Amino acid sequence: MKPNLDELGGLYSATLEEYLLRGTEAALHRSYELGRRALTEGLGVLEMIALHQQAMGKILLEMATPEKSVEAVQKGGEFLAEGMSSFEMTHRAFGEANAALRRVNEALEQEAKRIAHTLHDEAGQLLAAVHMTLNEVACELPSEGSGRLQGVRELLDQIEEQLRHLSHELRPTILDDLGLVPALEFLAEGVSRRTGLRITVEGGNGNRLPGVIETALYRVVQEALNNVSKHARATRVQIRVWRTDKLIRCSVSDDGRGFEPASMLSGPDRRGLGLLGICERLSALGGAVEIDSAPGRGTALQIQIPMED
Amino acid sequence: MRRAPVDAERQQLHSTTSLGLASARNRERVLEETCIPIQSDGDIVGARQNGRGLAVQLGFSPSDLTLIATAISELARNILLYAKRGKIILKLVEQGETRGIIVTAHDKGPGIPDISRALEAGFSTSRSLGLGLPGVRRLMDEFEIVSDVGLGTIVTVKKWAK
Repeated sequence: MKPNLDELGGLYSATLEEYLLRGTEAALHRSYELGRRALTEGLGVLEMIALHQQAMGKILLEMATPEKSVEAVQKGGEFLAEGMSSFEMTHRAFGEANAALRRVNEALEQEAKRIAHTLHDEAGQLLAAVHMTLNEVACELPSEGSGRLQGVRELLDQIEEQLRHLSHELRPTILDDLGLVPALEFLAEGVSRRTGLRITVEGGNGNRLPGVIETALYRVVQEALNNVSKHARATRVQIRVWRTDKLIRCSVSDDGRGFEPASMLSGPDRRGLGLLGICERLSALGGAVEIDSAPGRGTALQIQIPMED
Repeated sequence: MRRAPVDAERQQLHSTTSLGLASARNRERVLEETCIPIQSDGDIVGARQNGRGLAVQLGFSPSDLTLIATAISELARNILLYAKRGKIILKLVEQGETRGIIVTAHDKGPGIPDISRALEAGFSTSRSLGLGLPGVRRLMDEFEIVSDVGLGTIVTVKKWAK
C-alpha cells in the first residue's frame, strides 16, 4: 500500500494541535493509531519524524511567547512518542527475529557437523570393513578374479576420497581444532587445486575467535571464493583477517573482471544470491559486508563483525 | 523466518478449560483495581487513561508509560476486533519489594484455537510487523494467555516498576 503522506500529514497536524490545546488521552490514542496506520502503510521512522517536524513548525510559528514554545515542544514530544510506539514493537520484533536467525544458523552448523562426522568416521569404518572382507575373498578366489577385485578396490578408494571431501566441505574439523586461519588456508589449498586460482591467506595471531564468528567467517569466505571461481575470471585472490579494537575484519580481494555492485541484486546474474547469503549470515551477528568493485577493476569484499564483550 | 521465538520463562501458554489464574499470582497483593468495559474506541481511551494514571503512581518512566498505554491499546483493539466487547481490568499490585501493573483483557469472543500460532509473526500485515499479541508480549515483562474456543480469551500482562 502506498502511504498517503498528505492525508497522514494533515491528520497528524490536526491531532497534534488538539493535544496541545486539550492534552487529552483521546489525542494520544489517536496519535498511536495514526502511527500504527503509518507503519502498516509502509512509512518509515524518518518519515514519521518529518511529519512531526512539519506539524511542529507550523504550530511554533503561532506561539506568542518562548515559554509557550517550550511547552509546545515538550507536549509535542509526548505526542510523537505515542505515535512511534508501534514502531518500537516492530523494532523489538526485528531483534528477536535476528536472534532466531542466529540460533538457526548455529543449529544448521551443528547438523552439518553431525553429518560430516557420520560421513567421515562411520562410513569410513564401514569401508575399512569392506576392504578387509575383500582381502579375505581375494585369498579364496582363483587368480583371474583378483584383477576385477582390484578394480572394485579402486572404486572403493574413490568413494572414500569423495566422502572425505564432502565431509570436509560440510564441516572442516580443522576449523574446530586449529581455528579460522588454518581452516582458511586448508580451504584455499582445496580451491586452488580445483580452480588454479592463486590464493594467499594472511592474518591471525593464533588467538581463537568465538566459535560462531569463526564459523560465519569461514562460510562467508567459502561463498566468496565460490563466487570468484564462478564469475570473476581472476588469477589471484588475497584473503586477510585481522582484528581491530572491537571488530573482526576480513577482506577477500581478487584481480578479476569486477562488476557493477548496483547491478548485483537486479541482474540475471546468480552472483547476487551468494552475496545475499553472505549478508544474511553477517547481519545475524550484527556484522556487515561492503562490496568494492567496478568493471575491469577486480572485486574486494570488506567484511566486519563486532566482537561482543 | 515465520516462527516467533518463544521465551519459555516469560510466558506460559494454556489452552485448557481452566480459566482460573495460576496460584502463584495470589502472592501479589492488589493495591488498587479498576475495570473498564470495552465496547467502542472511546472505551480504549478510558482504559489507556486509567492505566497511565495507575502506572504513573509507581514511578514508571515516560517511555514505560507509553509502552503500557500501547499494550492496553493493542489488547483493547483485539477485543473489539475479535469479540466485539469485553473488559480490561487494571491492577496495581505489590509483590515483596516490587510493585507493578497488571493489565488483564477478558472477552467472551470466539477464542483462539491455536495460541502458539497467534503468537507467531505470521503473514498478516500487522503480525508480520510484530504488532498485535506478539507485540504486546515484547513490550511487557510477563505475558500469559488463556483461551477456549467458544468461551473466550483472557490475556494477562504485567510490567514491574524497576
